[in-house]
Amino acid sequence: MRAVDKGLGCCSVCGQMVAFPPPQAGHVAAYCPRCGSEVFPRKRNSLSTTLALVLASILFYIPANLLPMMHVETFAGTESDTIMSGVIYFMETGSYLIGFVIFVASIFVPVVKMLILLYLVATVHFGWHKHRHERLKLYHLTELVGRWSMVDVYVVSIMIALVHFGGLSSIHAGTGAVFFLLVVVVTMVAAMSFDPRLIWDGASPSTSSKEPHA
Amino acid sequence: MKKTFVCCPNCDEICSIPHPIRPGRYKCPNCQHLIFRYWPDMVVRLYATNLAALILFVIANYFHLLSFAVVGNRADATLTTAIRYLYQEGDYLLAVAVLMTILVVPLLQILLNLSLFGPLYHGHLPRYAPHALKLLEAFGPWGMLDVFLVGILVSIVKLVKMGTIVPDASFWAFAALIPIMAYGQSVFDPRPIWEEIEEAQKAGRISCPSERIA
Repeated sequence: MRAVDKGLGCCSVCGQMVAFPPPQAGHVAAYCPRCGSEVFPRKRNSLSTTLALVLASILFYIPANLLPMMHVETFAGTESDTIMSGVIYFMETGSYLIGFVIFVASIFVPVVKMLILLYLVATVHFGWHKHRHERLKLYHLTELVGRWSMVDVYVVSIMIALVHFGGLSSIHAGTGAVFFLLVVVVTMVAAMSFDPRLIWDGASPSTSSKEPHA
Repeated sequence: MKKTFVCCPNCDEICSIPHPIRPGRYKCPNCQHLIFRYWPDMVVRLYATNLAALILFVIANYFHLLSFAVVGNRADATLTTAIRYLYQEGDYLLAVAVLMTILVVPLLQILLNLSLFGPLYHGHLPRYAPHALKLLEAFGPWGMLDVFLVGILVSIVKLVKMGTIVPDASFWAFAALIPIMAYGQSVFDPRPIWEEIEEAQKAGRISCPSERIA
């Protein structure tokens, strides 16, 4: 039995169950008596917000990969590193594990996250009933791995802090790093604005057979 | 046996849990996702881990993180060096993001936990408990010390070929801090505290922190 069918819902902050106002009341929100938060049956404008943020992150992802993450200044000249050139550098010098970590965290994870969120938004929008458990798992996966893409931003800032010898050799952050930071933050917010309960909404044969008549 | 009803935040299924809560892990019967876990000694465990975390956090910020030497030049970096350089070079967005995710949010998380579980350990429910829990909920995944640790490791591998890089006291404090904070996170569940708050509200000892009375 699902809470939404009974006009009930739970506070997203403290978990308290609340009753929503009847459909004719004109407003959908309830107030949690325990923590005072506003409670909505579903996250508001979940699909359109998620879609907009994913599209924005796709736009940010292009300059994040094309523009340099950092500039390495030495007496011999300035060298600029993009994410991919960093990965290639590690692979060429034999640090396969680190190259792999950077590739997964900075290139693979953001793309997979965007694709999963697009897939979830599309399947909910078109009301698919199949693979609900799998889609929920995919959603939790995006929540779990999202923050790890920040690794590259941290690497750039630590390198800047350590390699700071004036004209001899110093490292500066590139514009790519800013865009990459935006990709990470925007995809994290996109994942947060998606409401996993939407995956289960809509009549399906299995749930309607369990629940004879209200 | 009395029961309370909660809705699964992932699929909106109404699930029953015993009231008062008994120790254990509770899963949603529909989507199999963990709804909450409760260990009776949660308070003492969280008090202990957050006290340890605070001490380690102070050490991690006071001493040098890494020192890096290339022919005659030597640089020591603390946690905040990176933020300072980013700020000086005009990369404000990066500076703010790093400052928030590795300094402000983790510190506030530790302090809020202490201000909550310290009094609870001594049998007293603080009046600000609902606000503290709401803030902790809002911080969510934005404290990224664990990701930062991986960033440090990647930077070490990246710089090890350029010069001599030595991890300092702060690095080891960090390495100890991450598993302790992760353990604290894995034990934490706000629901039993919300139930205590509810009892206190019924007794008139705590008021509901309403944003608006419906």
